[in-house]
Amino acid sequence: MKMSRLLLILCLAALLGGCASSTPRTAAVREFAAQSPKLNAYHELTERYCATYQREQPFLSPAADQREKELDARRKDACGDFVKLHSGVQAYMQALGTLAGDEQYDLNDQIKAIGGGIKAWPDTGLLDRHVNAFAGLARLLSRAITRPLQENAVNDMLRDGEQPVREVLDAMRTLLRLYDKSNDNERDIVLGMLETEIPFVDAERNRLLLALAKSQQQSKTAEYRLFGLRYTLARNNLDAIERSHRALASQIPQPK
Amino acid sequence: MAHLPLQDDIEALADSLSANADALHARLMRAIRKPAPGTPPGLPGISHGVAQALFENEVALRQRANGLYLDAAVLAATGLGGHQQRILDLTVRAKEKIEKIDRVKALVDIAAVLLTLGAAVASGKPEQIIKPLENLKHQIEDM
Repeated sequence: MKMSRLLLILCLAALLGGCASSTPRTAAVREFAAQSPKLNAYHELTERYCATYQREQPFLSPAADQREKELDARRKDACGDFVKLHSGVQAYMQALGTLAGDEQYDLNDQIKAIGGGIKAWPDTGLLDRHVNAFAGLARLLSRAITRPLQENAVNDMLRDGEQPVREVLDAMRTLLRLYDKSNDNERDIVLGMLETEIPFVDAERNRLLLALAKSQQQSKTAEYRLFGLRYTLARNNLDAIERSHRALASQIPQPK
Repeated sequence: MAHLPLQDDIEALADSLSANADALHARLMRAIRKPAPGTPPGLPGISHGVAQALFENEVALRQRANGLYLDAAVLAATGLGGHQQRILDLTVRAKEKIEKIDRVKALVDIAAVLLTLGAAVASGKPEQIIKPLENLKHQIEDM
């Protein structure tokens, strides 16, 4: 009777096949996936790029305004494509992270539930040590069965994703560089207008105008400097993501 | 497709237009700051109209450069449709795998109920079998 119960437990344990598994490999993949929010900066800077006209408009002459309007229409057209470029990669990173997740194969909750279920029946003859033996066996099995399964799934995804992800990240990096350069020209149009007009303001008669212009000059200078740093930061983050993706992909074992 | 020669050429052209605009601006600012001969110090060295006309040229150069940067960006972002689709497919496949894994969990839940059921049978208290049996029914219905 006791023997058959133990057999029942062992059979179920074999059926369960696993609990928590966290290898250095899956931990590295999760670390990579955790960087996905950094791609939000790309989205934000794309939106800033798309709104260039709005910021420039007050500083443009009628002729320049006309030219910028045409440019703005073309820019808005292209922005639809630019703005969603990162979403695929972001979804890919998140899915990869879930696949490599700590909890994905973590059956501890279930094992606890079984333990609870058994303890609720004190008359069954099942002792704590049976429950513990069961849990230990389940963990052992997880190493034999579950962990390779998880790593295979992660490796398959990395292998297939390596090239398309690299291409898209590459394009994103190019776009960020172009936004940055375009932003420099926008800055020079806005600040240049102030810089070339301020010397012609009559300081006696237009004190208010001069004060406002100089204050605007200060805040715009600070704004453009700040965004210049953010373009650099976003590009560095993108480079870091690409590097760790390449490192993960290069460590994929050859399929057996 | 991110590094077409054409895209690099366009970007290089835009870079040189921007550099020209920078040079023009430096020249313009020097002219404004340097007092013209015969005018009192502190006053701009060129007339307001001339300064505005020169700055207008600079703006036009920068706008042209930004137009070219946009062209280069469009080129960098085209031809990615295939890659985007592959990434999307991969993500969908991963979700399927995750779902499959969740079904393994469901299996484990069922196993837990079975174990409780086994324990209830072993305890020789058939009236206590009903609850685990109900649970099992729900588990299977949920799958």
